[in-house]
Amino acid sequence: MSRTGSLYIEGNSFFHRMDGAVKLILLLSWTVATFLFLDLRIFAVMLAAGAAMLLMAGIPLKRMSFLFWILTVFTVLNSAFILLLTPRFGTTLTGSDTPLIPIGYSTINRETLFYVLTLSLKYMTLLPITLLFIFTTHPSRFAASLNKLGVPYKMAYAVSIAFRYIPDLTQEFRTILNAMQMRGLGISRGDGSLRRRLKNLSLIVVPLLQSSLQHIESVSDAMDLRGFGTGRRRTWYMGTVMSLADKLAIMLCLLLLGLAIFLKLQIFREFWYPF
Amino acid sequence: MKPSIWKWSTRTVVTIGIGAALYGATSWIGIPIGTDTQLRPSIALLAIFGALFGPVVGFIAGFIGHVINDFITSGTVWWGWALGSGISAAFMGLIYLAKGFNPQDGEIRKGHIIQFIVYGVIGIFVSLAFSYLFDIYIMGEPGGKVIVQAAVAGLANTAVFFVLGIPAVWAYAKRNRNDSNLSVDS
Repeated sequence: MSRTGSLYIEGNSFFHRMDGAVKLILLLSWTVATFLFLDLRIFAVMLAAGAAMLLMAGIPLKRMSFLFWILTVFTVLNSAFILLLTPRFGTTLTGSDTPLIPIGYSTINRETLFYVLTLSLKYMTLLPITLLFIFTTHPSRFAASLNKLGVPYKMAYAVSIAFRYIPDLTQEFRTILNAMQMRGLGISRGDGSLRRRLKNLSLIVVPLLQSSLQHIESVSDAMDLRGFGTGRRRTWYMGTVMSLADKLAIMLCLLLLGLAIFLKLQIFREFWYPF
Repeated sequence: MKPSIWKWSTRTVVTIGIGAALYGATSWIGIPIGTDTQLRPSIALLAIFGALFGPVVGFIAGFIGHVINDFITSGTVWWGWALGSGISAAFMGLIYLAKGFNPQDGEIRKGHIIQFIVYGVIGIFVSLAFSYLFDIYIMGEPGGKVIVQAAVAGLANTAVFFVLGIPAVWAYAKRNRNDSNLSVDS
């Protein structure tokens, strides 16, 4: 993790140069479009398009793979959980019932299996665009672009501060944790009963809270001294000017979002099940 | 005096930022208790920030903190659960509006704790109901499975709220009481 608390990687691809606000619009419209559907065909197309865009950005695959694996493990566990708890859920979507795998108290049917596949693909569809966003957007530029999108600058600045302080607070938490462990007050599995570990955890929360409150004091004093919040608007050191390509990209995003809503209303209304 | 919850001073901005960072930085810590569910101490931090700075700060800090944490640790933002974090912090923050409650100056009574418990439990319930409906209607998950997750998460969050959140607010307020932390030496 870099010093800024984000996963930003320096680069000069089309997406690195793209305005942060445009990327945020892209992320949000992509998310909304994904939320609309429950259709394998749509997700396959979106996933392919997303992967192509991600490749264009030229981010080292090694850096991204851990997030990919986290989400993969999550979807596999989630699917297993769905199959075990609601093995016949697919029937409520399709109306048909084709028994496939008996699991004792019930039978997993083909509809549910196909549903789980669709749902997993739905989650995976969100991944490339999120990766694209977090790996190519500098946090300070992100705050500037939030402001450009109409979010009040004080709110945008709070987001910027949050990114800035995550590594510091993580470090502080580690220091406190180590100090407590040294005194025999650990929170790992080997450190005693659940009750004991929870109690030890509470001993970490209080000093961490105290130091955060001190951070708040010193940072807000420093900002007040520099006149933060006196003007109704503020300019951004990391702010960028939108280029023609950026404006075209916004139009394209909105056009595709409109197309997605149209498709949802007219053609791909429900869960798609080919059999 | 407590500042109004709608006033956006520099301190408010910084508090939201640091609160979000604190929630984001501690969200990954947890004692696993079941599938996809953990006892997460960060819920207690939400309760504390809500109680100290009010529902608005709590909501925004919870939401931003959750989104940032999702960005850097899970590859996808779970918007339903992020809003859920914000909602429970907002409810817990309602205690800030209670008359005579001011932990910064050490003013807290037993009655406040009862109120805090009520707000907190309602908040956790409402936020999970929200995340539950969001997962079913927006994500298209089966209700039978989400209800199990929501129930386990609800129990875990309530436990953390009781074991960590309430005692921490109480201890913080007691520390700041300036007329009672001296004792007569006999």
